[in-house]
Amino acid sequence: MNNIDPRTKLIQVLILSTLALIYNEITLLSIILIAAIMIALINNVNFISVIIRLNKLLKIIFLIALIQSLLTNMGNPIFKMGNFTLFTDYGILKSFEFILRMGIIIVSAAIITTSSSREIIQGLIQWNCPYEIAFMVSVAVRFLPIFKEEMTDIITAIQLRGIDLKKVKLSKKFQVYKYILTPITVNSIMKAKELAAAMEMRGFRAYSERTSYLVLKMQKFDYILLGLSISAALLFIIITRGAL
Amino acid sequence: MNNKIEINNISYEYPRGRKVFINFSLELNKGETTVITGKNGCGKTTLAKLIMGILKPSFGEIKLFGQSTKDMSLGAIGEIIGYVFQSPERQLFGTTVLEELTFPLLFKGYNREETMDRAEKMLEIFDLKKVRNSYPYFLSYGEKRCLAIASVLMVGPEYLILDEPTASLDKERIEALSQALENLKKRNIGMLIISHNKDFIERHKDRIINLEGGSYE
Repeated sequence: MNNIDPRTKLIQVLILSTLALIYNEITLLSIILIAAIMIALINNVNFISVIIRLNKLLKIIFLIALIQSLLTNMGNPIFKMGNFTLFTDYGILKSFEFILRMGIIIVSAAIITTSSSREIIQGLIQWNCPYEIAFMVSVAVRFLPIFKEEMTDIITAIQLRGIDLKKVKLSKKFQVYKYILTPITVNSIMKAKELAAAMEMRGFRAYSERTSYLVLKMQKFDYILLGLSISAALLFIIITRGAL
Repeated sequence: MNNKIEINNISYEYPRGRKVFINFSLELNKGETTVITGKNGCGKTTLAKLIMGILKPSFGEIKLFGQSTKDMSLGAIGEIIGYVFQSPERQLFGTTVLEELTFPLLFKGYNREETMDRAEKMLEIFDLKKVRNSYPYFLSYGEKRCLAIASVLMVGPEYLILDEPTASLDKERIEALSQALENLKKRNIGMLIISHNKDFIERHKDRIINLEGGSYE
């Protein structure tokens, strides 16, 4: 079912992430996460690939949750070391909330990735988003992997000059960061200038009316899915309004 | 420690699944200049990246003078083998040409005076004196390539890998590069050169390897 319109996905993601931000209760956040997983499965999200790709980010999320739990003193102590309270019930609850909220956001992002960036941009254009803004978004998305590649190359080049970054002291590492960030920043500015010149030469916005080779059309299934998502969200808000 | 770079039965496939090397073996001797030729996409640059530890073989092992690349960091490999990328701008990170040359050595605590002397020699050899204070990005492509080669030579590697070193260089610069490489050879520094430039190959080759479909003649 990968031919779901990207606009349907965008609305679903908007609903899910808004709900994730307005609720604070673990039970409710768990329900939203389950709903997000179900929507992701309908959209053919490959969870194994998402977990592998976001391996580092997931570790950081768990680390933040752990730190948040350790730094929260409110609530009843669960684990103490001498006079120092390590974990409280409130702290653990808060870190679970954080993990669930991040889980919803990651699953939502995974839903979006099942459409190509070109389709998403076209969706925005057909929603009457100004073409210049949609184009800027598409350029940003297009150039992200290039910047990542350039950064990897610079880090590799620095190391290949005999600098072992793992052994460099933290104070000296900042000196190295300058050499990583400077070429990336300058190259970005130069690339932007070159791109602007190339666009001008190819007549960007020469005509006010713009046609597209790719035209998105909402299908019956998209409307059903949208209707179900919006009504389910409204029903959820009405039932749980006490928790807001 | 021996004097060889040994590539033992390595296999490597690109992320999208195309196999480029299957049980590939090769020995490169220190002090010898090996030239690699072959059609586009036959794996010349991939082989260089595998030797440098930038890419990891799925099977097999690469030993640099007796030490496996599996046990070496990129920094440790870079100290003994210099690698000039195919696209020079990808390996330039300094804010000026002079800084590009001197930064790695000064960072590692080398003597400032000696480092500056060495940098001055490189600027002279590669005709970069007049652009010594320019930002590397604004150099011409040929100048960038010369700067990339000079910065790699600054580290004083025992072996050198040059990926298309003559691309976009004018005759004078190719001659300067050739002389610099001949001087290195006199100091028993081995080289692996990936090139399509026939005259340059003829001048420097001790051995030619023609890569084709992940194997060679």
